[in-house]
Order: sequence, then C-alpha cells, then structure tokens
Amino acid sequence: MSVSGNGGEQKLDGTSAMRAGIEVARILIVDDMMLMRQMIGACLTKGGFTNLAYAEDGEQALEIIAADPPDILILDLKMPKLSGYDVCRKLRADKKTAHLPILVQSASETAQERVEVFAVGATDFVSKPINQPELLARVRMHLENRFLINRLSSFRERMSAELTLAREMQHSLLPEASVLKAIEAACDCTIEAFYQASFELGGDLWGCWLLPENKLGLFILDISGHGVGAALNTFRVHATMTRLGPRRSDPAAFLTALNEALQPHFPIGQFGTMFYGVLDRDSGELTYAGAGAPRPMVVGEGGVRYLDTTGIPVGILSNPDYENRQERLATGESLFCYSDALTEAPAPDGSFLGEAGLAELLTAVAGEGPRATMVKRLLDRFYETRSRELPDDMTAVAIHCNAEGAGA
Amino acid sequence: MEYKIETNDADARVVFTGDITFSENVSFRQLLKDLSEKHITNCVFDLSDVGMIDSAGLGMFLIAKEQADTGNWKLSVTGAHGHVASMLKLTKLSDLLQA
Repeated sequence: MSVSGNGGEQKLDGTSAMRAGIEVARILIVDDMMLMRQMIGACLTKGGFTNLAYAEDGEQALEIIAADPPDILILDLKMPKLSGYDVCRKLRADKKTAHLPILVQSASETAQERVEVFAVGATDFVSKPINQPELLARVRMHLENRFLINRLSSFRERMSAELTLAREMQHSLLPEASVLKAIEAACDCTIEAFYQASFELGGDLWGCWLLPENKLGLFILDISGHGVGAALNTFRVHATMTRLGPRRSDPAAFLTALNEALQPHFPIGQFGTMFYGVLDRDSGELTYAGAGAPRPMVVGEGGVRYLDTTGIPVGILSNPDYENRQERLATGESLFCYSDALTEAPAPDGSFLGEAGLAELLTAVAGEGPRATMVKRLLDRFYETRSRELPDDMTAVAIHCNAEGAGA
Repeated sequence: MEYKIETNDADARVVFTGDITFSENVSFRQLLKDLSEKHITNCVFDLSDVGMIDSAGLGMFLIAKEQADTGNWKLSVTGAHGHVASMLKLTKLSDLLQA
C-alpha cells in the first residue's frame, strides 16, 4: 500500500511525507449512477488525488477490493446486486478490511438511516447532494488518520522486533553450555542457572569462568533502572570484563579495575550492583567482594548463611574501597546468587518476598528434592503467584558443590 | 510514591510516602525541579513512611545528591528503616547521603 512509511519517505518531514502519501492514496468510488461517479471523481481529481478506481455496484466493489485494496472507500447505499449496507458488513467481517475507512454517501438521510450506517461499520457519512469541499475535507481527514495509524503500528511492530532481538543479544552474553560443562567437570560442581530478560529489557548479567588451579569465578551484576539504557550498559560491562582477565583471581582487585574503567562513562544515577566470588573447590574456600548486590546465600544443612556484599556499587565513586571477604563451602553445600527481582517483585496482594522470605523459601525447597534442581523448585514456587512477564530481569544462579561420589 | 515539601527559611524537609521505585522516575524529577526553585541550604529526605526502594530509586537519590553538590546545599536522609535501611547500608549509600 502506498501510504505507509518507507525508506524514501523517511527523508521527508512528517507533514510533507503525509501529504505525499495521501495524494497517491488509492480511492474506490462506488455508485450505480455514472453521473455521481463522474462528479465525485472530478471533485477528487481537482483536490489533487490521482489514483482513483470505480465500481457500479456492491459486488463489483468487493471484487476490486479483493484484487487491490484501496486506502479509502466512498460508498453509495442503494445499489443493485449488493447494497452499501451489505458491502460494509462483509468488509468489516474480513480481517484484511476491518479497518478500511468507509465514507458512505446517501440521498435519503433519516436519523434511523444514520444509526444503521454506523451500526454496519461505516466510518463516516456525507449527504447527497454532495457538498464538494466537505467531501474533500472528509476524505483527507480519513486518509490522514489512516496514514498516521499505519505509521504508528509499523513503528510499534519494528520496536517490538528490535526489543526481541535485543533480548536475544543480551542472552548471548551469558556463559555457553559447553563452558559451564567444562567448569562443572573441573570443579566437581553443578551449575544451575536461570535468566530471563524482562519484556522491556533490563540490566542483569551473570557469568562464570574457570581460573587456574581448577578454581571458578562467578559474578552477578544488576545495572540500576530498566530499559534500553540499562541493557546497553550490560554490554559495556561485559566488554570491559573481557579486558580484565589477569585480575580475575582477586575479586576486590577485579571490582576495583572494573569500576575504574566504567565510572567515568556511567551517567549520574546509574550504577551496577555486583558480586564476584572465586571458589576453590579443593579447599572449599570462597573469596569474594561485593558492590551492593543482593546478599548471596550459602545453603547448608542447617539453613542459609548470608554473604556480606556491602560495598559501593560500581560506577558511582572514582575510588570505592572494595575488600575481599572469606567463606567456606563444604561439600554438599550450595552458593546461591540472585537479582533483586526475586525479592522485590510484588505478589498479587502487593507483598514482596524480601530477603528473609527468600531465605525461608530457599531452605524449604532445598529439603524437598535433589540439590541440583533447587533453583528450579524455588522459581516454580515463586512464579505460582507472579507473572512470568516481570518488568525487571530475573537472574538466579546456584553453584552446587557435589557431595562426594554424587557426580555432576 | 508521594512527597510533601515543608520549608522553614532555608531548610527543607521532604516527607515521602509509599515505595520509591523505577516507576516514580517522573515524580522524582518533578521533586528535584521543585527543590531547585527554592533557595535552600539544607534538605532532609524523610523516609519514615517508605516501605521499599529499588536500585532505580537509589539512583534517584544519587541524582539528588549531585544536584545538592552543584547547588551548594546539603542533602541528608533520615527515618530509613526495614528494606530501605538495608538497601542504603548494603550499597554504602548511607555514607554518601549522611543517613
């Protein structure tokens, strides 16, 4: 169809693009009287419209519309074969023509007739004898509306496709399954991870890598805010991290270097809360540093222990003081990291889980089945009362230190 | 989130009620605009009636702090409890905001 936006029209400003789109709009004039068809055609031609088509009755009109749909229909009511009312009904029943503007013109004009015309789906009504300037003004108005609606819906479709693509790209930043398998084998652990970018994009990211001496590094990051800005910043952080390879064995040094690289580029009010830990499976020693991330939990036999992630988020200060802290993970225990969507997403009654609620739920589900599927059970319970389409990203990652002889 | 500004000469007190989250972006910016139009030297954000704050909410506090620094007025927060207090402590923003 000629009125929708295309590459050429994008060079024009909005108004002139619309004018150009309207003038080439295809208009179908339906009237059983040749004189009326000629009169309306002449009026539209004088008004600058060039793409006109004509039909003598309702049936012919439907054939023409099926073969080459117009942008607007000017329709008589009383015609042989198929009346204007029936044409309206058939067009509205068809998805392809449900929104086609139909301008009905008729000589007899009673209040009842007007009601019926709109009831069968006409967009507008002009009375005969036709007042030419009025007809032109109405045709223009309906074409302008159609042009704007088309432009808006194609923009919406494009944005929706772009957001889907962006979500997929954000997903591609996460560790590949083959990398995780190699880590699991080297470190005798099971990695259970869930990640879902929100429908409007968000700023979550997590990653895991193998370090010398069969140690593993795990980070979880949440860029403040939502939307495209937060999502783009995850790419910035990810790219920066790849340059910090040598610092990966020292969590505090890693966060310091990351902050140093990012802080000058983060706008005021945007930052990333983060946790980075290095686990030595041989000794069970976990060295970690925090930048204000939700406190990860170690799930053991007697419930959960919290890790202290107190620290200025990355991107705020030029010299935050990150420090390494220690924890020990026994065989059979799990390290659980998550983003704040888990504790802050509201249930239907408006309440949210909170940290204590999450710890309680985690303790409960940990005892209800194999440790390797603990996160799955937790999220199944979580989503029982919440929509899968949260406005914030959701990340939940667990490293399960396999019990001796359990295998991955 | 709702807020009420109480002023006493050059001192202002902003009393917040409700949650401070991403969706409050617009009203928070309005608050900052309101504050910039007053000639204040001290401002206290009273969070006694705030139940929760998310990371975007903390970001808005940082923007307010930046505005305070450039406008030569002092910003502090008071009354934080529960979830809000934990978030301020966890992110050490309590130090920056003199909570």
